[in-house]
Amino acid sequence: MDTLSAIAEPNQRKIIQLLAQRGNLTASEIARHFQSSGAAVSQHLKVLIETKAVFVTRQAQKRIYSLNPEPLQELSGWLFDLTNQWEHRLNKIDSMLSKERKDSYKSQSRRGRKNG
Amino acid sequence: MARNHEAQFERILDAPKERVWKVWTDPKLVAQWWGPNDVTIPECEIDLRVGGKIYIVMLAGEAMGPFKGTRWPMKGQFTKVEPLSRLTYTARAWTEGQGSETQIDQITDVTFEDQKGKTKVTIKVTITNADTAPKAALQGMSYGFNQQLDKLGKFLATKH
Repeated sequence: MDTLSAIAEPNQRKIIQLLAQRGNLTASEIARHFQSSGAAVSQHLKVLIETKAVFVTRQAQKRIYSLNPEPLQELSGWLFDLTNQWEHRLNKIDSMLSKERKDSYKSQSRRGRKNG
Repeated sequence: MARNHEAQFERILDAPKERVWKVWTDPKLVAQWWGPNDVTIPECEIDLRVGGKIYIVMLAGEAMGPFKGTRWPMKGQFTKVEPLSRLTYTARAWTEGQGSETQIDQITDVTFEDQKGKTKVTIKVTITNADTAPKAALQGMSYGFNQQLDKLGKFLATKH
């Protein structure tokens, strides 16, 4: 499994979002946000570590999970671009067309009157 | 592992198909909406026929800081041109002066449907070289990571 597939899984995505919001968390802190068992959460964490989306460090007895931003940002940059690019373009087209509509209304019904 | 990624965007535009088609196919108009903010379009060529060329260059402006002056061309050709109803092109986008890791190959399929005088536009983008694409092509835009993650998930859920 690669990072892409890992974040396509909703629970794994939720873990990533938690880590992005809260910073470093232990497994039990993460598990508090889930209905599912601790074992299920561990399984998700394992996948996230294998795909390098998340890394683990040890502090005394605790295992601390953190986000590994690099592979995610590379992916996100590219994929978000596509979505944002098209959203942005469609917004621009929308406003171009609505400006055109207003202009033609003005020229039809208020001929001779200056805009704005 | 070869894999395609596909995303679909829809919008209902408050204009008849003729207007929407023109906005989509007249290079002067396309240049007005193609780029993100802070980017200009120094070159925009559209040869509207099957096999005809589409070539659009985005140029990063002052406000893009370290990206300023970077050119992001997209070059391809139309594979379907059905006036007022459908446009399909295959294209490659890249960062000028950089290696093949910045290349993104894509198929873009745009359909226009009349909806009581308005026009529903559906854009389907298929990225055909997804394995190399993630390394590259931020195309000068970066976005809040966390807010976007759900969008990303939905996007990925449609992958092929």
